[in-house]
Amino acid sequence: MSNKKNYGMVIDTRVCVGCSACVYACKSENSTPEGYCRDWVVQETKGSFPKLTMENRSERCQHCDNAPCVTYCPTRASHYAEDGTVQINRSRCTGCKACIAACPYDARYVHPEGFVDKCSLCQHRTEKGLKTACVSICPTGSLNLVDFNDPNQEAQKLMNGKLVYRQKEHAGTEPSLYWISASNKPGA
Amino acid sequence: MMATAVSEMISTKINPNVLPHLHIWEWHIPLYLFLGGLAGGLLVITSIMIVMKRQFGIGPQDVGNGCPCLALRIGAILSPALLGIGMLFLFLDLAHPLYVWAFYTTIQPTSPMSAGSWILIAFFPLAILQAMLVNRSQLRSFKIEPISKVIDWTEKHMTIVALANAHIGVGIGIYTGILLSFFSARPLWSSSILGMLFLVSGISSAAALMLLFAPKNEKPVYSMIDANAIWIELMTVGLFVLGGLTGSANSHGAMMHLITGDVNLAGMSYMFWFWGIFVISGLVVPLVVEFLEAAGVHIKFPNLAPVMVLCGGLILRFLIVFAGQSYHTFM
Repeated sequence: MSNKKNYGMVIDTRVCVGCSACVYACKSENSTPEGYCRDWVVQETKGSFPKLTMENRSERCQHCDNAPCVTYCPTRASHYAEDGTVQINRSRCTGCKACIAACPYDARYVHPEGFVDKCSLCQHRTEKGLKTACVSICPTGSLNLVDFNDPNQEAQKLMNGKLVYRQKEHAGTEPSLYWISASNKPGA
Repeated sequence: MMATAVSEMISTKINPNVLPHLHIWEWHIPLYLFLGGLAGGLLVITSIMIVMKRQFGIGPQDVGNGCPCLALRIGAILSPALLGIGMLFLFLDLAHPLYVWAFYTTIQPTSPMSAGSWILIAFFPLAILQAMLVNRSQLRSFKIEPISKVIDWTEKHMTIVALANAHIGVGIGIYTGILLSFFSARPLWSSSILGMLFLVSGISSAAALMLLFAPKNEKPVYSMIDANAIWIELMTVGLFVLGGLTGSANSHGAMMHLITGDVNLAGMSYMFWFWGIFVISGLVVPLVVEFLEAAGVHIKFPNLAPVMVLCGGLILRFLIVFAGQSYHTFM
């Protein structure tokens, strides 16, 4: 098996408390401008009273294997990186905003300095063998950085036997983020 | 009684112009799409007229020395000029305009915007040659050697240049729609008929513009082209609406958002803009007026119908660009 990485995330919503530490770690690590965010926390409540279920989850760019932003980018600024993530080359980004319109997850925004920005899965950290800022800070271990090429199959071990979903799979984007559903919780 | 099921989402996402809905393209883009459509339409009409005249002897009369009629001459000049203005708006819309060169260091076959940036460049040389060709008697009077040589060359290859231009014009017209329709994440835009709609709308707007400045004896030709184009446009709008309404929940919702939407755009709802301003006053009324005109009825304000068509074409671009963004992302 090659040493090539194929990064993604497995996010365990069963233990996510929605503390937003991932959001602030990301802002601080990546100097995200004020009023913008590369990741965010969603709290979803469903059902009929009194049978309500709630799921907290951290969301970000899905680093799709078939990313519409890369397909649509006219300058190759948005591209697939060697490690399986989707990255933006700022020195080729004209800010035409086609990728923002193309993203079914609304994960991108125009940086006030004139380029499109989004989660990089902390490539500058993973290159050095570190975990992403959000994963490092997550106090409940909800966030897991995984390598789908890992021979030990850590990602599969995390997900085995649980109800796991990806977002908007029918968009055909092949996202690299997996969520372990909160409905796995006992009593849910 | 069954309790009402709830589904509520609270998100900490705050990115401006992405939430609560997309707001990345403002007036620059619809204006560019309108001018691009006009430029494409003008190129198509002038090219076809040149080919018809040269090959079949059909078309507007010659004004001495084989020089075509006034509307054709102005139209051929306006085509690259309007596209140039449109491209300026496109340039101004870029978040980092100085990086515009990056478009021309690569060809991305899957990106309509990449294809479009190349078509825009390819448009100019032949469109300018054509504009020079139809204005040759004026240009030759300046007696500038290189210009006369270029005109001589173009005159020899007139049919080929005009045929190529007809295709480039269709390409530009379709491209302005395809630019939006490839975004499967935006349900209103995700319709391949949008390319066709913007093309016919561009042609009808171009015919209306030529009708405005054509001298009286040339008007019937452009009136006829315009009436035909409006008729086809009406059919295409119908197909666009039907395609949306009969589509998936995403497409259906997006089309209802446009045609029955109460979102306010400059003081009026989308519904009113779409049916009242675009369909009725931009298509149906001008079609009736131009039909009556062709049938010999005296129209008191002959310039009113073409102005209404032009306004309709402009409003169509604004409506599609804005309504496409204000509807929620693909679910």
